[in-house]
Formats: sequence, C-alpha cells, structure tokens
Amino acid sequence: MTPSQDATPIPLPITAPALSGIDESIKLPRRRAQSPGASLASLPDRRSSPSLSSLFASTSSLAGSRPGSGTSTPTASTIPSSVFSPVSRSNGAPFPGPGFEGTEELRNLISRSFAPHVGVLASEDTEELVQQKGFQGGLLDLIRPFGEHITGKLAIRDSNGSSKVVDDFGIRFMGLKDGLGYPSFPRKSAEGVYDSTNRELNSGKPSDRWSRTGGDISHIEEAVGRHIAYAEMQNTGSISDYFNSRNISSAGWEASPFYALYLRRLLSGLPLVPHETFSHPVACVIAISSHSTSPIEELRRLYTSTNISDSRLPQWVNNEFLRYYVLLHDEDNDDIKQSMGLYEQMKRNFGLHCHLLRIRSAQAVPSDDESVRIPLCEWMSASEELAEIEKREAADDDVDPTPCIFESDATAIRSFVRELVASSIVPLMERMCAQWNEQILSRRKGLSGRFMSLSKRWTPFGASSRNSSGPMSGGSSNYDSLQGFYKPDTPEALMRKLADYAFMLRDYKLAQSTYDVLRSDFNSDKAWTYYAGASEMVAIAALMTPNNMSSKARIENIDQFLEASSYSYVTRSAAPYYALRTLALGLELLRLRGSSAADDAARWASRILESRLVGPIGHALFTERVSASYGCRRGVGNLNSGSRTRKSALWALLATSEWIALEKTDLAEKALHRACALYGVLPGAFEDTPVDIKEAEDGVDKLGLPMRAYPLAFGEMKAHIDSLREALSEQRRMADGYDDMAETLMPADDEELEVEDVISESLTVNARPNRKSLIGAQMPFGVDVAPLSPVRTRDEGEEGFTESDKIL
Amino acid sequence: MSYYFVIIGTKDNPLFEHEFGTYRQGGDGISRFREDTRHMNQFVAHASLDILEEVQWAGGQMYLKTIDRYPPTGSTISAFITAANAKFLLLHQPNNISTTSNPSSLTANRNAPTSTTPAATDEAIKNFFNDVYDSWVKTIMNPFWRVDTPVRSPVFRSRVAASAKKYL
Repeated sequence: MTPSQDATPIPLPITAPALSGIDESIKLPRRRAQSPGASLASLPDRRSSPSLSSLFASTSSLAGSRPGSGTSTPTASTIPSSVFSPVSRSNGAPFPGPGFEGTEELRNLISRSFAPHVGVLASEDTEELVQQKGFQGGLLDLIRPFGEHITGKLAIRDSNGSSKVVDDFGIRFMGLKDGLGYPSFPRKSAEGVYDSTNRELNSGKPSDRWSRTGGDISHIEEAVGRHIAYAEMQNTGSISDYFNSRNISSAGWEASPFYALYLRRLLSGLPLVPHETFSHPVACVIAISSHSTSPIEELRRLYTSTNISDSRLPQWVNNEFLRYYVLLHDEDNDDIKQSMGLYEQMKRNFGLHCHLLRIRSAQAVPSDDESVRIPLCEWMSASEELAEIEKREAADDDVDPTPCIFESDATAIRSFVRELVASSIVPLMERMCAQWNEQILSRRKGLSGRFMSLSKRWTPFGASSRNSSGPMSGGSSNYDSLQGFYKPDTPEALMRKLADYAFMLRDYKLAQSTYDVLRSDFNSDKAWTYYAGASEMVAIAALMTPNNMSSKARIENIDQFLEASSYSYVTRSAAPYYALRTLALGLELLRLRGSSAADDAARWASRILESRLVGPIGHALFTERVSASYGCRRGVGNLNSGSRTRKSALWALLATSEWIALEKTDLAEKALHRACALYGVLPGAFEDTPVDIKEAEDGVDKLGLPMRAYPLAFGEMKAHIDSLREALSEQRRMADGYDDMAETLMPADDEELEVEDVISESLTVNARPNRKSLIGAQMPFGVDVAPLSPVRTRDEGEEGFTESDKIL
Repeated sequence: MSYYFVIIGTKDNPLFEHEFGTYRQGGDGISRFREDTRHMNQFVAHASLDILEEVQWAGGQMYLKTIDRYPPTGSTISAFITAANAKFLLLHQPNNISTTSNPSSLTANRNAPTSTTPAATDEAIKNFFNDVYDSWVKTIMNPFWRVDTPVRSPVFRSRVAASAKKYL
C-alpha cells in the first residue's frame, strides 16, 4: 500500500451507519474533516488519535513517549508511540514488552501475574480529597498503577532461609470486593448499542467494580480484537513493526503482540473464588485523611467494617489479613505538625503498620512542569480495558484524559508502596509461610500425618462419611460439600494459602510440594474445583522451577496434571476460564522447555482448540500457537529427523484461513507468508505487497530449518494456497480501493453480511470486503448478539466458534 | 469411514492417490469427505510425514501403525514404508461427523458406525497395506518406470481398489 493511500482518512459517513447498525463494531477515532488524498490535509484528521492511541499503547506497555501536552499537534512521536512499537516500551519500565523474545519474558509474565492482592478501603473524606485531584475512582485509582511495579529490588527469603533478590515484584491494589461476582460489563441495551451512561462518572459503582474482574473470555477476545483492528488501521502509516517485518524466523513469529496481550488479559483481574487464594487479600490498606475530624474513630469504624458489615468478604475468605493504616496528609491545606501528631498517635494505637502519605490536594494540569501523567494500569482486566476504550471514544476530545499528578506526589506514593511491600507484606507472607509450613504442612507430610490421611481414607467411618453429602463438622473431611468450600481455618484451606503465598513469593519448590499434597487430599474429598486448581498449580509450579526437567517421567506427570486439571475444570466445575488458563500456561511453559516438549505444547494448544474454550480470535491466535510450537522443534542429525516443519506449515496455513475469515488481512498475510516459506513455495502472488525473496530465504535459515529441498509437489495443496493468496489479495485490494469507491457510493447496506457469507466470500473471487471490515466490525462473534461465553456456546450449539472450522 | 490413500516418493511428491469409502456395514465404497475439508487431506497427509520420518527409525517394521491424527476433522493416519523409501499413507476419517460442526475426536469415535475394534481395524489396514505393497512392487518393476515418477497404471488402480474392497 502506498503512502498516498495511507494518508487518506476514512470518511466518517460511510462508517457511521454501519456503526450504529452493528453493535459490536469498533469505533475508531472520529475523523472530522473530509479531505482525502492530500497528506497535508489529512493531518488534522489524525489529531484525534492521541487520546485513543495512548490507550492502545498503554494496554501493552506504559506509554513512555506519550506527548506531554496531549493535544495541539500530532507530532511524529504520537503515532510511533502508539500501538506496539518497541519505542513505547523503552521507558525504563522493566516489564516484558508486548511480545516474548526470550524465554525469560514469559516466565516473568507468569510470576508477575500471580501477585499479592491488597484491598483498599478509604474513608469518605479521603475519597473526596483524591477526587479533587481528578481521580474519580478515589484512592484506589490513584495508587493502583504504582502497585504494579515496586521500585527497586526486593529480597525475599524462601522456606530454606536463603534469600533471593527480585526486581519485578508487584502487588495489585483492588477494592475489597472487586473480585466477587461475575463481570456484568459490557451490557448492551436493547438497541444493541453500548449502554455507556452508567459509567460516565464512575457513579455506577457496581458496573465499575465488576469491570475490574477478569475471567471472562469473551471480553478478552473483544479487547484483543480491538487492538488488532486498531493496529491494522494504523498499519497504513507503516508504523507497526509486527506487520511490516517479513521476518518469519521463530522469534519474529512468536512475538505476536496480540497473543501476548491475550495472555496478559487472561491473567489480569483474577476473580475472587474459593478454590484459589491468589486474589484473596493479603492485606488491606485503610486510609483516612487529615481532613477528618475524628480520625481514630474513623479508623476504628473502617476496621470493624472489614470484619462485620458490608465490607466483610464471604466466609470462605480468610479474614485475618493484615490491616495497614494510612494517613493521607493534605500538603496544601493542612498543618503538617498536626498530622505528625496524629500519625504518632496512630502508631501507638495500631503498631507499626502505619504510613503517613503526604500528597497535595490541588489538581495538576498537564501543562505544568512538575506534573506527570499517571501511568496506565498494565494489569487491568479485559472488561475494564473495553470500558476505557469506550469511554475515550465516547468522550471525543483531543485531550488525553489520563489524570496528572505532581512529581512529588508520585514519589511519595512510590515510596509508600515500597514501604508497604518491603516492610509489611513480604515479611508477613514469609512469616505466614514459615508458620504454616511448620505447623500444618510438616505435620501433614510427617509420619503421623500420612497415617491420619490413610486412616481417614480406609477406616469404615471415614469411608462412610466421605460418601455422604452433608457438612462435616470435625469429621474426617473438612470439605463442606453442600456449599462447596473449605472453611478458611481448616488445614486444607491454610495449606492452599501457604502454597499460594509460596507461589507468589516465587518459592516454586515449596509451592509444588504443597500443591501435590493438596491434590491427593482434594481428590479424596471429591472437592473437584479445588482438585483442579491444585493440579493446575502443581503443573505450573513444576514448570516454573528453573531446573531442567528432561526425564520422561516428569513430563508425563505434568501431562497427567494438566489433563486432570482441565478435565475437572471443564467437566466437573464448568469453569472454562480456568481451563483455558491452565492449558495456555501449560502450553507456553512447555514450549519454553524447547525441542523435547514442543510436541506436548502443540498438543495442548490443539486441545484448547478442540475443547472450544476460545472464541474466533483466540482460535486463530492459538492456531498460530500450534504452528509456533511445532516450529520450535528442531530436527537432529543430517536427516533432520524429528523436525516438524510440515506440521508447522500446516497450522500456519490454518491460521491464515482463520484470519481471512475474520478479515484481518495483515495477520492473514503474515501467517500465509510463513506457511509459504515453510512449504518452500515463496510467495510471488502479492502484487501489491512485493516480498523480498531473499529476505524470506534468510528467514528460513534463521529458523534453523533446511530450505525445503523438495518443492511442494501436491497439486491440490498448491491450488489451495493459491486460492488463499487470491482471496487475500482480493481482500487487500478491496480494502485499499475502498477509499476511492467511497466517494461515489455509500455501500452501507453491504455491511450487514452474514457470517457465513463473509467466509464464503472471502474465499471466492468476488469477495467484497471493504475498509470497514478491516476495522473489524465483522468479527463473527460480533454479529452474534449473545455474549460469547464458552459455556454458553457449549450449551447453545455450535454457532459462535465454529465457522472457522467450516472453512477448514 | 472415508479413506484417502496416497503413495509418496522420496522427494515428498505424491506418486499415486486414491480416495475411497468403506465397504463394511453396507458401505458402497464411495468416499464421503466433507466438501469443506476435503482439500485438507493432502495437507494432513503431507504434515504427517514429519512424524513418519521420525518413527521410521524407531523399529524395523514396515507397517508403522497409526502415526498421526488431525483432530479438527477427526482424521487418523496410518503409514507403511517400503524398502525403497516410498511411503504409503492412509488417512481415514469417520463418516457421519459432517453434521456436527466441530468433531472432537471423542464424539467422532462414538458416532462412527464402527463395530470393529481398533485392533481389528489396525489388522485390516495392515493387510491392506501388505496387499497394496504386493501390487506396488509388481507395478514398479516395469522397466519404463523411473523412481519418483507418478504411477498412472489403471491396472494398479484397480488392484488398489480391490484391496480396499477386500479389507476395508
């Protein structure tokens, strides 16, 4: 595509009817002026992009090069900083970038995703103070981004007493009850348009709260779909490295930023559930401000509210978490001496877990020298991200709505978070680990513990009570099978907590052995969800342990754990989200094990596809994953026996047809390019995107695979590849030609294509996709009005996820 | 069951292709691959060469049994390797899964009208391969045949069809 076409804006009138017609359509930054052609004239049209592009950038990284003053001229740095370019992650934030280049990034991603959760509870005057600063969500909004990465290194002692330095530790601040309940956003009103009124000013607390909960696969799909659509649109400006790099080496292929995003969203916002305690609060920050007239009473009231009243978590959550008291001092209005006095009093009353946080109450303006934009949350849940995108599109202003704070405030909050973590949370978790390890786990693992569990299993009493389904009090089983959870003070629940703490502190050995003990306990109690959770984590902990696990037996163990876990999650507990998490993490960690485990990784990836856990976008992404997994398997010897080049090519081709069906032309081209290179038929059929053949050959060499000595000799295969190419270039041509066509006719009614039509058309010559489809309005699940929960799809039959299969 | 049988030469080139259906359970010997996935047969067979090249060194047998499966269509692939490194691949796919849109292998097997046990199927395929091998050797003894060129003999085709009728 040529630059002159790139500069052509998408005229709004064409997209507008379609947008109102199809509810899931993706709104792009509004383009106001209608001046196609001249690149100068189109510059103003880009003006609206900073606000949105920063959001898309922010979701994959903390956008560093966001323009400070947001509005006036769209400088060159605005766009490059946008989507997934490496530029945007070079701002010193040490978390992994969008793609995974090496093995460590993924490991880090996983270890960082299971982070301690800290509840935030603030008094009303505190919330008012923070809202004055421009944070509608109150204190939580203010400190949340800072919790995701703790500045500086942190020493963590493991169960053996050896300490280990971690430099990417983080915590998640959350509202105390955030993880509860299933996310209810986005809701659709009867017209099929997003009902965006109730979250305008965060007044609609419920939807706002639930949107912080992850665990809904359809939301993840949608969020990723929007990213893809946005990236494809931006691709016209030749900024997306991912699309433009024709490098098909395994690294280039595997660093799909969309897949990385998918995984990250999968791991964000873990819901609060009984069977795992990752999202149970480790501590709770109780905040008052210096505005308060009776501060100590206020603190007491907040404290008791965490125990009895509406802030009390459900009874399966262990309520004995740490309370951390924070006094928010208003630098602008209040007297520091008074606050110091109050702080001393707090210390006397509540002990050491106190902090005096000095911030200014005035709102910072972006143009101010001292103000910095608050970083966007990296670990926001998919629904939250969607809400954010919606909000910014609806706002339709040029200003980046991210609030600013003063540099001094940012520093104060950072040091507060660091102190909270380093001197309260981590020591507490270490202590609890040691304590539980000594008191419960070693007793359970010891001789008497084994005997107890044996006798529990084999004595007639044990057997009878195990099979009956009533709440056992002090009987042989602690599992309350009626309500389906263990009480938080039972040894099983505490051991699970111990294992989770150990996992969050990255002591994978202890975690693994504890999960293993739990597995057998849960199994004999028939606590299936718990059992699935323990199996999942034992496999992941084992894979996270850095030692090499070459022995066949161990790989088989892992297989068994993953199998048991996914089976229990899907069949016994109907929890597809967790099954997907299990399989995706298992597959990625196995793939990192290199050649020997690549087959297993590919098998689990195709298991994800088979069990229909994911929607169309996930389906395509995981199909690419199968291909990548096979691709990382190396052959041995001169015969190169054991490589999986052909399989990798096959799955790449499948991915191509899925992307074509989704009308993601760029991604489809990329997949097809890889498939062709692996098959040894180098693409010459892209007239409009000429491919450097030499480069492609280099790519194959970089793969470490032999150039295919034998040209593809199957006639039908060639024909099929050619037809895919044709469909693709047709799609591309229509997309490019759309701008010209748009001037003369308004093909608004053409947008309402049925899903099946889209597919069949995209595969035949008379395909009629257009620019709007590039934008992604025809994501097949978008046409489906029902929210695409896998459970639903399973129940309702095969409409949602299977059209991709039909084209295979 | 529908079958896709292909003989692949030493340079990954197909020498002979044949498609047929089962004759068991009143089948008429006509293959019933789903139209939308029919073109995948070649791809799947081609992809399974990866596995074949690995397992061929594991033992001395010519019949390599089931070496690969392709879950999206519920296909399974059995392989046989001749002394001259020509590979026989037989892709078999249960029939009546075309109505369900995404056959997981489990349901496919359940729905398949196979009263035969896996062992019996395995044995049948083995016999089929041996039979075809017999005719194959006889055919390529033709002095005008060069290695890695397609075989177009109608006699050979009819023999393969006869073997298929006999065993599958």
